[in-house]
Amino acid sequence: MQIQPSDLGLIARVATLGKRYGSGSGQVTALDDVSLGLRRGEFTAIMGPSGSGKSTLMHIMAGLDTPSSGQVWLGDTEITSLPDSALTVLRRRRVGFIFQSFNLVPTLDVRGNVLLPFELDGRKPSLDERMWIEELYEVLGLKSRLGHRPHELSGGQQQRVAIARALATRPDLVFADEPTGNLDSRTGREVLGLLAGASAGYGQSIAMVTHDPIAASHADRILYLADGRIVRDAGRSTPEEIASFMLSMETAA
Amino acid sequence: MRARLKDQIPTLLVALLAGTFGVLLLHVTGMLAVAIAADSVTGDSDTVALMLPVVAWVFIVIAIYVSAVVTSNTVATVVAGRTRLIALLRLIGSSARAERGRIAREGLAVGFAGAAAGILLGTLAAFGLERVAVASGVMPAVDYQYLNASVLLPAIAVVLTTWLASWVGSRRVLRVRPIEAIGQAVESDREELVRRRGRNIAAVVLIVLGTALLAAGIVVGLVRPEGVLIGLLGGILSFSGVVLAAHVVMPPVLRLVGRLFGRSPAARIAAENAVRNPERASRMTIGLVIGVTLVTTFSVTMESYRAMIHAAIEAQPEVFAGVEGMLNVTIAIFAVLIGFSALIAAIGMVNTLSLSVLQRTRELGLLRALGFEARQLRGMIVAEAAALTVAATLTGLVLGFVYGWAGAQALLGGAQGQPVFVFPGIPWAMIGILIVAAGLLTAIASIAPARRAMRVSPVVALATD
Repeated sequence: MQIQPSDLGLIARVATLGKRYGSGSGQVTALDDVSLGLRRGEFTAIMGPSGSGKSTLMHIMAGLDTPSSGQVWLGDTEITSLPDSALTVLRRRRVGFIFQSFNLVPTLDVRGNVLLPFELDGRKPSLDERMWIEELYEVLGLKSRLGHRPHELSGGQQQRVAIARALATRPDLVFADEPTGNLDSRTGREVLGLLAGASAGYGQSIAMVTHDPIAASHADRILYLADGRIVRDAGRSTPEEIASFMLSMETAA
Repeated sequence: MRARLKDQIPTLLVALLAGTFGVLLLHVTGMLAVAIAADSVTGDSDTVALMLPVVAWVFIVIAIYVSAVVTSNTVATVVAGRTRLIALLRLIGSSARAERGRIAREGLAVGFAGAAAGILLGTLAAFGLERVAVASGVMPAVDYQYLNASVLLPAIAVVLTTWLASWVGSRRVLRVRPIEAIGQAVESDREELVRRRGRNIAAVVLIVLGTALLAAGIVVGLVRPEGVLIGLLGGILSFSGVVLAAHVVMPPVLRLVGRLFGRSPAARIAAENAVRNPERASRMTIGLVIGVTLVTTFSVTMESYRAMIHAAIEAQPEVFAGVEGMLNVTIAIFAVLIGFSALIAAIGMVNTLSLSVLQRTRELGLLRALGFEARQLRGMIVAEAAALTVAATLTGLVLGFVYGWAGAQALLGGAQGQPVFVFPGIPWAMIGILIVAAGLLTAIASIAPARRAMRVSPVVALATD
């Protein structure tokens, strides 16, 4: 009997993961033998300079891209061999996404965007889920905006809607891709506080890809990627520590 | 999410036109049948009453076929514009089938709306025509029932073909990958290339087989009149092959036409735009190619026929007295009927061009940021529309000329008892009309997109989403 990721307290795991583009002499290695596990309930930041492979890693862990070699688990499900239909259901029920450019559906109001994952699943949220969503509206300060369309909201408000949508289904893991990249620094800090709060208060597992040391300083754990490899696995750090390590990586390269 | 109504207006318009045309034509032939039956001279003959609906249906089927091709291309354009939204929904967990189903359902609803409005408009138009014809004494007053079930048939056909065409046109949805919602650079899709190879092989097989049958039809036509039926089958097969291979056929023609517009930056970019995406270029032009081919085929065949009749009149004036006038009226009526299909095709092109410009706002913003004047941008859009129209018209003329001559040869090659070579008649009037129509079409097709392009601010090129 194989040990399951959940036995180790992991919510996601990758083993000897490789991703290569092209072939022959023009081949580019985006990920090179990466193995890691994300712990349940933790807010993990994946740091690295541009081109370090951090976005590729996130895409593969979320089942959006396929690896050239290696395996990926979400919970106890090995997802590398799953057909598209199973991946679709997995994304709908067990994964949440938050992006740099918010990616809300422009024709739907706030409520419609948040309830979209349920609608795609062909069901109404249960009473328990409705109460959870009401709580999210409250915590994220969206109560008075439920009938607004995305274009009527500020960037920070749009990102709060995206967070509500990502958390609404209580997914195993929320992926956040540079969630503060399009926000001013004050609004960005608020959004990061909300993510950290979701992790600390509700035990939501979050994986955030970023190259911003301040954003990463809100995380419980920081993984550093460079040239497709994990080069450091650190605990909570100050922005200064993160920035100086990033600088040392740049100068060493 | 909720149907974006604006995207569906072109499809609605095409369904409406096809529906109106079908209903109107059936009403008019129905009226004529009543009038003929009431007439003491012709009333005894069943032939005309039987032939009228058959002829009507031939033209209805052609119109519906053209509108189906136009609609599937419009839907494909709409899907291309919605790629990011579809990718986002896929990312959040919608299945490809659900997304495709949504678009097909929109098509069904639009087909319904178009067909219902078509019944109304077609009936009103028929009623108006009847009043005018009776008042001017062309037709005696007839007791015609407007409420008859037969006019539901073209409406049902329009609903079903709009639905089917939406389904066919939305197959690109299946290739939208969730990652396209976030990724800037997207790998080329290998699946697409494989699919294309299959399509190319099918196209070549159809063209070779169709051409062989067309040749066989001509040879058989030298001795027997049935040759034209073999030729017709060959024509349908080979033309379907050309339609399938449009993404290979159209770019070289477009490139050639593009050279005619000179070397100014606007003209060069317009020419490149027209060929950059072969799939899009063929989507935008193929409807019009079909329309022009139909019109040309028909006119060339008719012109050859007319030339033959003229020769016969000169040889035996007393036998063929009065034929000339009737021939002209028949040709004119048929030309109007077939011209309607070309009109649907033209409307389809106007719509796809507008949509494709709307979808390229960012790119237009980039050109503005790089220093294009609004005026140059307008010139570019007009040149692009002209390149598409001219290329489609030229291709249609060449194809139509070949098919028209083959049809005339197969039909008339053995008509005088011995095998003869039929000289293709050149329908100058029709060519003139087509050229004027092409110019008009270019102007109409570029008004809305050009105005839109001139309003684009350079800043949109720099926006992230």
